[in-house]
Amino acid sequence: MSPRSSRIRNVFEPLDRSIVAKLWQERFGISEQAFSSCRFFRKANSIWAIGDVDLPALSYEAIGMRIISCKDRPWKPTTSALQVFGRYATKNAMNLNKQEAMIFLEGGSQVIESGCDAGYVVVFYRGDILGCGLYSHGKLISQLPKERRIEKHYQEQ
Amino acid sequence: MDHLDRYREIVPDYAAFRAVQCIPLYNSARINTLKIEPEKLLERLREEGVLFQSFEWYHLGLKLDAESPGKLLENLLGQIHIQEELSMVPPLVLDPQPGECVLDMCASPGSKTTQIAQMMQNKGLVIANEPSLARVAPLRSNCERLGVLNVAVTRYDGRNFPRGSFDRVLVDAPCSSEGRERRGPGVLARCSRERSLDLKALQVSLLKNALRLTRAGGVVVYSTCTYAPEENELVVQEAIGESGDSGAFRLEKVRIPGLKECPGITEWNGERLKDELSATARYYPHVNDTGGFYVAKIIKN
Ligand SMILES: C[S@@+](CC[C@H](N)C(=O)[O-])C[C@H]1O[C@@H](n2cnc3c(N)ncnc32)[C@H](O)[C@@H]1O
Repeated sequence: MSPRSSRIRNVFEPLDRSIVAKLWQERFGISEQAFSSCRFFRKANSIWAIGDVDLPALSYEAIGMRIISCKDRPWKPTTSALQVFGRYATKNAMNLNKQEAMIFLEGGSQVIESGCDAGYVVVFYRGDILGCGLYSHGKLISQLPKERRIEKHYQEQ
Repeated sequence: MDHLDRYREIVPDYAAFRAVQCIPLYNSARINTLKIEPEKLLERLREEGVLFQSFEWYHLGLKLDAESPGKLLENLLGQIHIQEELSMVPPLVLDPQPGECVLDMCASPGSKTTQIAQMMQNKGLVIANEPSLARVAPLRSNCERLGVLNVAVTRYDGRNFPRGSFDRVLVDAPCSSEGRERRGPGVLARCSRERSLDLKALQVSLLKNALRLTRAGGVVVYSTCTYAPEENELVVQEAIGESGDSGAFRLEKVRIPGLKECPGITEWNGERLKDELSATARYYPHVNDTGGFYVAKIIKN
């Protein structure tokens, strides 16, 4: 899906918007328009998004937000990216109630009935996007990075 | 604490200044408008029973009565960012506009970077520079948590940041942090005139390079959280001084309505400094019940 060279050379390489948009369209039903004010780059196993501006010629450590990890299959959206773009999702999104949200925020797994396809999902609570979950065999497994979790109060189911 | 005695002559109501050092500072946070409407956020806090009070001088600033504000869900979701009250001043003085190109020369952990990004409504470009590898991680993580899409991170020594023609540059310099005593008691024990003079050499080089990297008509804001004139007025004087006579730079008055500043000093240790330095601002902890800060605004002619 992208030049292999970026994985080898470990530099930021521009990536076509249509390639990135297609991934989000397929999994979450998000239209390409949601990304119209962004540019994309690939470096090693990650895809990054930044506003649509020309970057001065500098040596960069990070360009905008890391939105996708392609280390494993399927590709995995970051929680930060879902919090920005996930509100345009038309599928593979789920709403949690308060108790479910707390378990999710603690980084836990729980049985949830849902029509979502197996794979990564956008997780909502009272209109906020909590982040990325993995839905597998009827279980929702929180993918929140450690530093974005709340302390444990609830027992895992 | 006796170290503070060297400021006896320049700080108004010195006794109150000394006394306030032992009083811990309340927690504070900034509302991140990239993620939530201020009204909605305040409503959430009320619902959750979190006690807060909006700053009088900045509608996005909040004093929070919470023991670990970092653990609030609103913080984890990036709807607020825990930030010292006065740390919100330099970006307001910088006054970045959507679509501009801005350099934040000493950026980590990114409290000011993300405030600048939000003032620019996620448009344009902020280069957040931070040489320390260990400090890049918190900078990146704050940008991502707050939903920032207009920041790119570089890792130059600010003295050698190579090129650019920025609309605005912020130099929130490494400093002796005397103004943080109320937050982390013991800071003052590590301060001395010698330390300030060492830092001054670094700060002057950073500010000189910032002035070089700014386009004509552009703005440079220099800030520290310290009182030492060696790290404040003397740095500004030396950085603008050399070309200052030809009028290459001028200082603009720093003033935030609702917050009381004291004018930058124009005399130190019997030495006369440029009169225009009185346009720079000193913020003292006993005057507004805050930490301590120094802010200068320089226009490149
Ligand atoms: C006062 S802190 C910046 C705080 C930050 N602006 C914020 O609001 O979150 C100063 C920073 O300057 C960095 N620094 C130290 N030496 C530097 C240099 N030579 N060039 C650029 N930055 C430097 C330090 O690592 C530190 O992160």
